[in-house]
Amino acid sequence: MPTVARDLLELLDLEELDVDLFRGRQADTDRQRVYGGQVAAQALIAAGRTVDQGYAAHSLHSYFLLPGDTAVPIIYDVERIRDGRSFATRRVVARQHGRPIYYLTASFQKAEDGFDHQDVMPDVPAPEDGVDMIGLMRAGGAPDADALAREWAALEARHLGTSRRGLPEDPEHPSRARMWVRISDRLPDDPVVHLAAFTYASDMSLLGASLAAHDTNPAKVQMASLDHTLWFHRPFRADEWWLYDQASPSAGGARGLSLARVFTRDGRLVASAAQEGLIRPRRD
Amino acid sequence: MPASADELLALLDLEDLDVNLFRGRQPETSLQRVFGGQVAAQALLAAARTTDPAYVVHSLHSYFLLPGDTAVPIIYDVERLRDGRSFGTRRVVARQHGRPIYYLTANFQKAEEGFEHQDVMPEVIPPEEGLDLGAMFRSRGGGSTEEWEREWAALDVRYVGNSRQGLPEDPAHPARARLWIRVNGEMGDDPLQHLAAFTYASDMTLLGSTLVPHGVNISSPGMQVASLDHTVWFHRSFRADEWWLYDQESPSASGGRGLAVARVFTQDGTLGATVAQEGLIRHRD
Repeated sequence: MPTVARDLLELLDLEELDVDLFRGRQADTDRQRVYGGQVAAQALIAAGRTVDQGYAAHSLHSYFLLPGDTAVPIIYDVERIRDGRSFATRRVVARQHGRPIYYLTASFQKAEDGFDHQDVMPDVPAPEDGVDMIGLMRAGGAPDADALAREWAALEARHLGTSRRGLPEDPEHPSRARMWVRISDRLPDDPVVHLAAFTYASDMSLLGASLAAHDTNPAKVQMASLDHTLWFHRPFRADEWWLYDQASPSAGGARGLSLARVFTRDGRLVASAAQEGLIRPRRD
Repeated sequence: MPASADELLALLDLEDLDVNLFRGRQPETSLQRVFGGQVAAQALLAAARTTDPAYVVHSLHSYFLLPGDTAVPIIYDVERLRDGRSFGTRRVVARQHGRPIYYLTANFQKAEEGFEHQDVMPEVIPPEEGLDLGAMFRSRGGGSTEEWEREWAALDVRYVGNSRQGLPEDPAHPARARLWIRVNGEMGDDPLQHLAAFTYASDMTLLGSTLVPHGVNISSPGMQVASLDHTVWFHRSFRADEWWLYDQESPSASGGRGLAVARVFTQDGTLGATVAQEGLIRHRD
């Protein structure tokens, strides 16, 4: 995992092997399986490299197929599905050991104006009043706090609470979790970098929201992202605080669905996220 | 377009051309472009035909690429991406005139049990008290009435209200629209047919919710509206021919696009599915 923003930028800087074919490096990590946010961000960058500069990503839909191997690089193979006057579409296959581990489709649009509205940001405490997650774990004497701090050093996250603790009651939405997140170092101004860095961060906590309603020890749950979807509404900086307002409308059949809205501090809705994941109670 | 449950089922009955290759018929229609819900439902069924029946679809993600031509059938070409112990994944390309018009990826899972929770259904008027959408078009007048009755008779739709009229105030969510929908007629008991019929219906009204705060609708003069993507997560099985609440909300519109997210509740309050769609919502002066 990147320990500073420079490492994150290196992770997002793909090597060009051929036209529409890229290679993404691995982070220095203790993890056995590649972090999904890394694959999604690298695949988005690969897709963007094959699109005219005038088009910006407005959505991505993706499925995780196999756990990624942290010991070898990942190949990103881009298929140009459409180049229209207003929209362009790309499909990316992420491969390791000759097998697809991840499929992403992304859509790009030339900037235009139109109708404008958005949900209103909920009233929440400032990031400064949130709880630093690593600090919280360390204070609680968690044995793996140092390892987690190392893995997630590129991100700062301040927890605001879950449905079970810390958030105002809302019995109609039983599984919610809110946090402030930002990249811990200053990033360059390129908007593509901010989209990719946000994509990287967006996979970290989302599935956890589908467990917020359940009094369970996450270590006793087998968790894996099944899909990952982002809609980018308005440009924003990933290195300035954004509110990750996550809610899980449903869990059933060992799967949980989480939806999230992403607000900047000034209340702009900049993205929406969705993820379904496997949340399987471990039998032991 | 299909005018009854039977005609809808006939539309969804694909012809088998070869292993992993199917052909979907076209309904009689005066629509210029193929209805997106038809392509999504046919593609979902093509994917399911290549999957062990023990695996049930739990999600689909798709992008619309080109307008479909209503004059020729649609070819559905299925790629088997994965057959795992718990999950199976399929990608379907819908083609016409040698060009892809639509891509769908669907995920299937063997039934298992686990954590259970769901959002609580909002309090709404029962379908019987909702406004019949056909009747609403009639009261508005204009040419859309006949079209409605000719094209959409396979669906029974009752309007509950939107953020501007009929729904309780909620300033934090300015773009909401709720309807009750069911397939108009008895469908039989095959759960896959119900998933497909629901998928068909799910594309009809979703983008309308993105226009609620703006005082226009999809058929207003100068509007250019097109689905860009379509996503469904199937949480629990339900019958498409019994009333389901389509609780639609648009968190955002900007840049000529609107995003709509919907929860689908049965009358007893079960959350059956979640749907998301981004669309082009362009107004030409």
